[in-house]
Amino acid sequence: MNAAKPIILAEDNPRDAELALAAMEEEHISDKVVLCHDGAEVLDYLYCRGQFKSRLKGNPAVIFLDLKMPKVNGLEVLRTIKADINLRPIPVVMLTSSREERDLAESYALGANAYVVKPVEFHKFLSAVKELGTFWGVINEPPPEGLRSAQPHS
Amino acid sequence: MESSTHQPSESSTRVPGEPESRLDSSPDSTNSNNGRVSWFQKLTIEQRILAGFSLVFVGILVITAVSYHNTSIVLTNSRLDGRSHDLLQLLSTIDVAMNEAEDAHRRYLVTGEASYLESYKKVVQQKPTFATYLRELARGSMEQEQRARVLERMMEKQLNAESKAIDQFDEGGFRAVKKMAIEGAGRRELGAIHQLIIDMDSDERLAMNRRIADSAEGTKNTIVLLGLGAFLQLVLLAWVYYLIRHDITERRRVAEELQRRGELLEAANKELEAFSYSVSHDLRAPLRHIDGYAALLRKSVEQSLNEKGARYLQTISDAAKQMGQLIDDLLVFSRMGRQEMLHTTVNLEQLINHVLADLRLDLQGREISWTIAPLPEVTGDPAMLRQVFVNLLTNAIKFTGTRPKASIEIGVERPTSAEVVIFVRDNGVGFDMEYASKLFGVFQRLHRADEFEGTGIGLANVRRIVHRHGGRTWAEGAPDIGATFFIALPTRSHEP
Repeated sequence: MNAAKPIILAEDNPRDAELALAAMEEEHISDKVVLCHDGAEVLDYLYCRGQFKSRLKGNPAVIFLDLKMPKVNGLEVLRTIKADINLRPIPVVMLTSSREERDLAESYALGANAYVVKPVEFHKFLSAVKELGTFWGVINEPPPEGLRSAQPHS
Repeated sequence: MESSTHQPSESSTRVPGEPESRLDSSPDSTNSNNGRVSWFQKLTIEQRILAGFSLVFVGILVITAVSYHNTSIVLTNSRLDGRSHDLLQLLSTIDVAMNEAEDAHRRYLVTGEASYLESYKKVVQQKPTFATYLRELARGSMEQEQRARVLERMMEKQLNAESKAIDQFDEGGFRAVKKMAIEGAGRRELGAIHQLIIDMDSDERLAMNRRIADSAEGTKNTIVLLGLGAFLQLVLLAWVYYLIRHDITERRRVAEELQRRGELLEAANKELEAFSYSVSHDLRAPLRHIDGYAALLRKSVEQSLNEKGARYLQTISDAAKQMGQLIDDLLVFSRMGRQEMLHTTVNLEQLINHVLADLRLDLQGREISWTIAPLPEVTGDPAMLRQVFVNLLTNAIKFTGTRPKASIEIGVERPTSAEVVIFVRDNGVGFDMEYASKLFGVFQRLHRADEFEGTGIGLANVRRIVHRHGGRTWAEGAPDIGATFFIALPTRSHEP
């Protein structure tokens, strides 16, 4: 279990964030969610800087990443995460409105662990977010910290 | 290629090249010059250049022929001149020789010296040679020939008279020929000969002068013709050069224009892509919010919500869902136009079987009699063609929904070497042929939303895909009887 590990939700749209949090609330995991309003905040969190300077050390259980965000967009965040040996093991789930093939291909090429298109219909959105939160935040076993020693390369 | 007149469903029939047909009708007017211009304008650039070069060629031929003719006249004249000079020479020689014969024979008659007789005999010996040359050189002019004959006869006569006198002298001595010796035996003939020679001489000189004038005229004409011809050729060649140059410039301009438009089109395409990207991302979010907050609202006021309020909330989320569907359909439609196409062999029979398997859910609780003819293989993009048949068959199933016993037929019509025509026929609600042209438009629906669901994008997709394959689409139908949708695919692979 990974009850202690937080879930990062990167979502610039406050309504989307509210709806997602409402869904997580039904699964009683909303208190684990750290909301970031843009890509820069996600990176601040991961590198413990800015408003997250004094947070508890450790990687999140999962990052739900929107593609289109101000400052640093989702793909850029993803690229940074997957290029950093310490951050690379963190599961990243793209949670976006875009169904464009280009976005799909690029996300997977950069190493996204999953890609979920936000359904327009609320009940589908609700169940999607619930399942995602439960699976990645509760069921899935996240990689252990200090995985570096286990990496065969670099 | 697509030919709009063959498509009953295509409403707009454009007449290609309309400005030209307007030009064609102008010869009707009384101005014949206009007619000539339009006749010339109808020629292609190749025909014009060919005409120009043909004119140049014909000009060269004419100039060559006329120059050859003139030059050969000059040559003939100069040859004739040589002959005339010879004739003049001969005539003066004959004149001298005949004088010599008369003098020599008289001297002989008076003195009896043998040396005079020798001189006379020499002239007699020369006479046949003179005659031969005379005949030869006088040929060609009737008058001169006539005179030459007379001259010959006169020479003969003179010499005969003289030799008779010599014979008499040999027999009877000087006394017998005294009178002749003083007067000369051939004096009369000699005078005639003299006169004849003068005539012939002056005639020949006249003819010579005439020929010289002739040659000068011919030479002058030739020079003028050559000058004029060269000028005309120059003008013609300049015209042809202008035509070719104009054509090349035009072609270069068109190529540049095409390239410019291609670049514009590419830019527009990129813009469109960016546009549809933001549509897919940004338009969907507010819809999700509408539906989401409607649901949250319903949840938070569930107890106090009356039936009317519940219906309002339901309508809000239904409308949001519908708009989401419209956006999705529009994105698919836009993608169908941009997506790269594959060109492989597609087995339509297999494809239709897969489509029918996928539509199983829609077929539950329905009684449909299927008639599926053996279908050919076509060349195209399998995924796109699949979309075509999914749309056509979904439509057929949907619009036969009100029939207790639906029948749907998939068949092939009049296979030609150029295209394969496949149709999907149903006995559903059909449509009025009056609206046939609207069937394939984007978001065009012929039925009310509460009759049959759908966004009206399916047939637009069908048409777009078939057009991208280089094919055609059309439909036939009658209200309450059924509808038939045709797609014609070219048998050879179509490169867009």
